[in-house]
Amino acid sequence: MAKSKTITKALELFGQYTGLVLFAIFTIFPFWWAVSVGLSEDPSNTWLFPRSFIPTDPGLMWFQRVFAEIPFMTYLKNSTLMSIGTIVGVVIISVLAGYPLARLKFPGKNLIFVAIIATMMLPMEVGMIPNFITMTRYLGLGDTLTGAILPNLAGAFGIFLMKQAFEQIPQDLIDAARVDGATELQILWRVMVPVTAPSIAALAIFTLVNAWNDYVWPQLILSTREKMPLAVGVFNDLTGPFAVSTSLVMAAVVLTIIPVLIFFAFTQRYFISGLDGAVK
Amino acid sequence: MKNSNSYTAIAYLFLAPALILMGIFTFWPVAFNTYLAFGNYDLGSGHVTWNNFEHFKYLYKEELFHHALKNSLLYLLIVPVIQISALVVAKLVNNKLPGMTMFRAIYYIPVIAAVSIAAVVWQNVYKYDGILTWFFQMIHVLPEGVDGQIDWIGNPDTALYMVMVFTFWKGIGYYMVLYLAGLQAISPEIEEAAILDGANAWQRFWKITVPLVKPTILLCTLLSTIAAIKSFQEVMVLTKGQADTYTALYYVIDQAFRNYNFGRAAAAGLVVTFFCMILAIIQFRFFGDKN
Repeated sequence: MAKSKTITKALELFGQYTGLVLFAIFTIFPFWWAVSVGLSEDPSNTWLFPRSFIPTDPGLMWFQRVFAEIPFMTYLKNSTLMSIGTIVGVVIISVLAGYPLARLKFPGKNLIFVAIIATMMLPMEVGMIPNFITMTRYLGLGDTLTGAILPNLAGAFGIFLMKQAFEQIPQDLIDAARVDGATELQILWRVMVPVTAPSIAALAIFTLVNAWNDYVWPQLILSTREKMPLAVGVFNDLTGPFAVSTSLVMAAVVLTIIPVLIFFAFTQRYFISGLDGAVK
Repeated sequence: MKNSNSYTAIAYLFLAPALILMGIFTFWPVAFNTYLAFGNYDLGSGHVTWNNFEHFKYLYKEELFHHALKNSLLYLLIVPVIQISALVVAKLVNNKLPGMTMFRAIYYIPVIAAVSIAAVVWQNVYKYDGILTWFFQMIHVLPEGVDGQIDWIGNPDTALYMVMVFTFWKGIGYYMVLYLAGLQAISPEIEEAAILDGANAWQRFWKITVPLVKPTILLCTLLSTIAAIKSFQEVMVLTKGQADTYTALYYVIDQAFRNYNFGRAAAAGLVVTFFCMILAIIQFRFFGDKN
């Protein structure tokens, strides 16, 4: 009896790991192939499977050519600037807006909160036409990084996440600070922000990934090649006349993904705990 | 202690940056888009001339828009597939076994990759002599050699479904994490009690897991339904709308930024918004019986 139970357990475990590995292959195979092709100095095996999943004549030649033929560092700089600007803006705006929605009583509170959350249900791509008009005609921010960043700064997700985080804090902490004569801004900055640091970190991480990968809006608003972020610039180059060889294309793809992957490796544990707050 | 009036002032002061930005870039566009839908936008002067329901009448008759809308609705097929898979995968990685953190990370990698960059790789996966063709030939679903080679995203019969597979690959990690968060809120005692009562894995999944993560299912289904209705990024980067993959939102962007018919684009956008709202309401009715 005990023996058959152990066998069932072992089989169950084996089944689970088989499922996990198969699914891992499904999510990773395109990038695995891209890395292998990018590393192969000899491209003759690119379309031979499964041979192409292991580099032929490994070397960094194609990666060097990416730097030589595509303004990769310019795109990288633009992506970095865009991401930093977006993170700073989103965090400040969400923290400021989340606090009153979570902890202060004022008329119109529910209406404002519902209006903000309702925007999650709308296809905001529809707003691109008016935003394009506003940006180019009235604000004069067409083809600027500011124009690419601005519409992404105030979003329902960040405000909602911070509101949820602030609601978890005991009221005593706020009352004590008020008795000590702290202003609301001081309470927010000295009491609330330090306690909710993990949520703020999670928000910053999510914002970074979104800003880094944003494609449609920057692609619409930016027309100068030198101003484009990686997701737009590299894509345009790789699907246009620069795409002379698959090896070069895959090397560029790998280079574009590496910064996100490095960042992800360091911040991985926040991704899950961060979304936790959004669900509850 | 301050009186409640001063809190009102402070509250609005704190909310001001968010409300101003959302006002300009979120609420105003919705209103302006609605207005644009009933008029003609003059690119030179920026004037809008009212034309009643002209755009809607045009859309009602136009074959291309009907087709785009049909493709967008067809895209909804992905919602149940991606939701059930994500829940099953979340269940798999929710066990406290060695290597789980690594598996979760691997499943999340497609989510953090830019859609445009991932599409460059997938275009090669879908090439007539790419990985997908090889895979089907290897398991003998397709004949060997040139006969079995299919241009997956160039062929109108398969292209839209292939774009859906890409969406599935790209998005499943995101929903998996949301479900994981939901699953971790379930106390292990409930499941242990069910095991003692002799419930098998299948029964435990349907009778315990699914009801307890119902709020997460609502959130995820809602998110993926709206994402499916407004699918066009994937289409834009993978097929550029060729091979019968033209979706409703692709029509909107195409009318606006290729034909420069902002009014017609706005009207089409309004129709898409309308569909989004209808689907959101249906889902709240269906899932949200308690809340």
